[in-house]
Amino acid sequence: MPKKYHITPKPAPLDMDYVFKFTIVRGENCINCGKCIKVCIYEAHKRRTDDPRKMADPNTVVCRNCFRCIQECPRGALEKSINKDYSNIGGAFWKPDILMSLWKQAEDGNVPVSGAGYRGPFTGIGFDSMWTDMSEIVRPTRDGIHGREYINTGVDLGSKLNHLTFDSNGQLISVVPETIDLPFPILFDITAYKLSLHVKEAILKAASVIQTCLIIPVTEITPELEKHSDNIIPSLASTDIDKHEAILKKARLVAIDYSDAMLKDFQALKEKIKKHNHALTIVRVPAVKNVEEIVAKLTQNGAEIIQIVADYRGQEINESSGKDGRLLKDIIRAIHSRLVEDKIRDSVTLVASGGIGMAEHVPKAMLCGSDLTAIDIPLLVALGVRVFEEPQKLLVFPEGLDKIPSRKLTQRIVNLMGAWHSQILEMMGAMGIREARRLRGESGRAIFFEEIDRESFGKLFKKEKR
Amino acid sequence: MKPSTVKINKMPSRFKHQVPKYKVTRSDACINCGTCAKTCPYGVHERSEGHNKVKPPIDYKCIGFECQSKDFCCITKCPRKALSLSLNPMYNTLGDPRWTADMITGTWIMAETGYPPERTDLDYNVGNSGGGFDKLRFKFPAKPAKVDKAEISTAIPLNRRKDGRADVVISTPVYGGGMSFGSVSLSTMVSKAHNATIWNTFTCTGEGGFPDILKPYCDHVITQVATGLFGVREETIQRVKIVELKYAQGAKPGLGGHLLGEKNTEAVAKMREAVKGTSLFSPFPFHSVYSIEDHKKHIDWIKAVNPTALLSVKVSTPNDVDMVAVGSYYAGAHIIHIDGGYGGTGAAPDIAKKNIAMPIEYAITKVHNFLKAEGVRDAITLIASGGIRTAHDLAKAICLGANGAVIGTAELVALECVRCGNCESGRGCSRGIATTDSVLADLFDEKWATQRLTNMYNAWNVQLVDILQKFGMHDVSELVGRTDLLEHIDYSH
Repeated sequence: MPKKYHITPKPAPLDMDYVFKFTIVRGENCINCGKCIKVCIYEAHKRRTDDPRKMADPNTVVCRNCFRCIQECPRGALEKSINKDYSNIGGAFWKPDILMSLWKQAEDGNVPVSGAGYRGPFTGIGFDSMWTDMSEIVRPTRDGIHGREYINTGVDLGSKLNHLTFDSNGQLISVVPETIDLPFPILFDITAYKLSLHVKEAILKAASVIQTCLIIPVTEITPELEKHSDNIIPSLASTDIDKHEAILKKARLVAIDYSDAMLKDFQALKEKIKKHNHALTIVRVPAVKNVEEIVAKLTQNGAEIIQIVADYRGQEINESSGKDGRLLKDIIRAIHSRLVEDKIRDSVTLVASGGIGMAEHVPKAMLCGSDLTAIDIPLLVALGVRVFEEPQKLLVFPEGLDKIPSRKLTQRIVNLMGAWHSQILEMMGAMGIREARRLRGESGRAIFFEEIDRESFGKLFKKEKR
Repeated sequence: MKPSTVKINKMPSRFKHQVPKYKVTRSDACINCGTCAKTCPYGVHERSEGHNKVKPPIDYKCIGFECQSKDFCCITKCPRKALSLSLNPMYNTLGDPRWTADMITGTWIMAETGYPPERTDLDYNVGNSGGGFDKLRFKFPAKPAKVDKAEISTAIPLNRRKDGRADVVISTPVYGGGMSFGSVSLSTMVSKAHNATIWNTFTCTGEGGFPDILKPYCDHVITQVATGLFGVREETIQRVKIVELKYAQGAKPGLGGHLLGEKNTEAVAKMREAVKGTSLFSPFPFHSVYSIEDHKKHIDWIKAVNPTALLSVKVSTPNDVDMVAVGSYYAGAHIIHIDGGYGGTGAAPDIAKKNIAMPIEYAITKVHNFLKAEGVRDAITLIASGGIRTAHDLAKAICLGANGAVIGTAELVALECVRCGNCESGRGCSRGIATTDSVLADLFDEKWATQRLTNMYNAWNVQLVDILQKFGMHDVSELVGRTDLLEHIDYSH
C-alpha cells in the first residue's frame, strides 16, 4: 500500500476586511442596560472602551444569527438585516455563501460543518441538479473516512490501452503508453488571469506541496518559478513550440491551446513536442457547442489528455446562444458518452475545468465522465479575492496582497485543498468507492434530478396529452 | 382522535420579543395623542399612564397589511397620518428556503397556542425550496362527503406483521426522532419523551444510551442500536417496546458519527461506557453487517434479547433504498424508517447535507411501490423522515406512500430553535436547546417545553384531521399511497 496521501492544514488568517452576513443596528432608544452583552454568547455586544456607560456598535463579524439580542432587548432597540456587502458579492454561480466558505476553508483547512439540516433549495442547475449515491446494507465500504482502509484519490494522466497483446511466446507486444500519476484529481490553472509574480510563486509552491501541477503561460515562466519546474505545465500555442525549447525540455506535461489545424495533423504536433522531450501533451479545448465532436476527433488522432475549458461559471463558451448554453455537468456527460460510443474513452484523459468552485464539483465532474479537474478562481479566492458576476465578471484583489508573506499565501491554498481532499474522501467513502479512478463516468452512483424527478413525480403527476 | 392525556394550554415564548414580519414606522408628524394605543387590539402601540410620549411600536405584534381592511387599523385612525407599515428587513434574516420565516413563525404560534395560526398572512404550510413537498398541493374535492371530525381516527398500528409481538398503536402518525444524550439539553430530551407519552406516540434516544431520567416514559421511548453500539445494554433493550437499528442518518449518509472529546463529559462517558474526554467515533457502517443476511442476524439478536419488542430499521436514501427496505422486511423488521438526504443533524459536513443521497419525497414512492410489487406492503410500516416540516408535509408523505413520519427539526423549532445551525460550535446552542452547557441548558424548563411540544402536536393533528375531513376520510390509513389526491405545480398544469 502506498503511503497515505495527506495534506496538512495550518491556520493562516489574513488581516483583511471580512465580508459578514448580517448587520445589527442599535437604535436611539437603547438604554445602555447591557442585556445584549449578557445574552450574546459570541460577544457581538460590548461597552465602549472610551465611555463604558455606553454600548459600542455591535461587532457583527462574530454574529451567528441566533436572535437572542434581538428578542431579549427590553426596548426592541436592535435591528438586524442582511449586510449589503454580503448580498453584493458573487452572483448566481459564485454565491456569497460559497465565497465565505472558501475563505474559511483557506483559513483553517477544516471541512465546513454545521448543525441543522440542509437549508438551500431542493435542486438547482448544473452540478446542483445531482446528488451522489451512498451505500448501506447492500454494498457498503468499510469505515468510510475514519478508515483503517485507504481511500485513494490518485489519478493518472495519459492514454491507456484497452487491452494488452502478447505473442505466441507470451511476450508483450503492446507498447504501454506513458502516464503521469497525480495523488489528487485537481490541476491548478492560472492561464486566464494576470497575476503578480508574488502570487504566482505562492500558487506554484502550493501545487508543489500538494504534488500537483500548475498550468501557466510559457511566457510567464521566470527563473524564480523555474525552481519548481516539476510542477509547471507550460501552456502555449502550437505555433510557438520551437520558440520555447529550453522550458519544454524540463516539462513533464505541456498544454497546447486547441486550434482547428490540430484536427488534421495532431501526430506531427506530438512528434514536435517529443523532439524536445518525453512530455505528455494536454490539449486545451474551449467548451464550445460542438466540443464533443472536437474531442472525439482529437482522440482519434492520438490526443492523450484533453482539458475542457468552460467559462468561469461552468457555462458553454458560445457567443451567440448566451443563456441556452450547456453547463459543465452536461458538457462532460456528452463528451464522455460520445467517447464511450466511439469506443475510445480509455485512450484519452479528460480534465474538466471552468466553474469548478466547490469540493463537491470535483467528484461530481468525475461521475459525469471526466478523469480529473482543473481549478482557477478558488485558488484566488483562497487569497482573499472577491468575485463579482454583475454587471460583469470582476475579481477584486485584497489590498497589499503582495506584502503578505508568500508562505502564508501558499498555506492558504494548501488549506483549501486539504479541506477539499477531506470532503472528497467523505463523498467517496459514502459512495463506497475507494479509488478516484473508479469515479470516472460512474453515473450509476449519481442521482440526476431530471431523471429521478421524471421517473417518480413525472410518472405520477404528468397529465396525459390528449 | 387525540388521547385524553392531551391538555392544551397557552405557552408563550420565553423571549420578550418575537421576530417581526412588519415594521411600523412613526414619523415626526406624531403628536402623541394616543389614538393608536387605544385602537390597536394587538398591543403594537403603548402609552403608559403619566407618560407624554407613545412608546416605539412593538413590531412583532402587528398582523400586517390585512389589518388595513379592519376598522381599528392604526394607520387609518391616526389623525396626523404619522404611521406607516412596511415589511421588516429583519424578517429576511430568519429562516431559509426550506424553513421559511413564515414556517418558523407559524410553528411558534402552534407551539404557543396549540392550534394553527389564525393569521392569514403566513404561508406556513409550504417552504420555498422549489422542489419536492414544496411543489405538491392537495386536490381537495369541491364538495366533500360530510364526515364528523370527532369520528376521524389518526391512529396507526406499528406492528403490521402479525407475528405475535406487541401490538403497538400510536395516536397520531408521527413521532420524535433520535437526539442523543449529550447532543441536546436534558430539558429537551425529557420534554420530548414526556410529550410522546402524553400523545401516546414515541420518541427516540438516539445513539449513546438510555439515560435513567427517561425511565418513567420507557413505554414511549425507542432505544437506538447504532454502529458505535454506545450505551447498548441488554437491560435497555429489554425495557422498551421498539428498538431501532440505525444504519445511517439522512444528514450524513455513509459517514458515521463523531462525538468530540470535549462533549464526552463524565456523564456522557458513563452512559456510553467509554473514557471521559476521548473522541468517540461511530463508524460507518455496522462492522458486523455487509449483507442482508448479516442484517437478519442483527435483527434476530435483538429479537432474542427482547421477545416482544418491535424492530425498526433506520436507513438513509441511496438509489437502492427500495431493495434495502424489502431486505429488511424479509429480515424480520416491523418498521422501515427512511431518512431523507435533507434531514436534520446536530453537526454534519455541509457537503454531505447538500449532496449525498436522495430527497425523501422520491424515496417514499420508490420504497412504497417496491414493497407493493413484492406483495409485502401491508406487512410492514413505512416511516419517512428528513424534511417533514409541517402537517402538510406529513399528509403529503402519507399520500406518497408512507404510513407515518418522524420529525426532529419541527420539535426543536417548537422550542424556539431559529435554525441558526450552531448546535455544535463552542458552547453549543445559544437558545439552550441543543447544548449541555450548564448556563445555557437552564434557559427553559421541562414543563414549558413539554407543553410547547404537546401544543404543536395538537396543531398538526388538527390540520391532519382537517385534511382527512376534506377528503371525506374516516381514518388516516385511507390516505396512504393516494398520490391521486396530490398535484404537482410543474407537471399537473
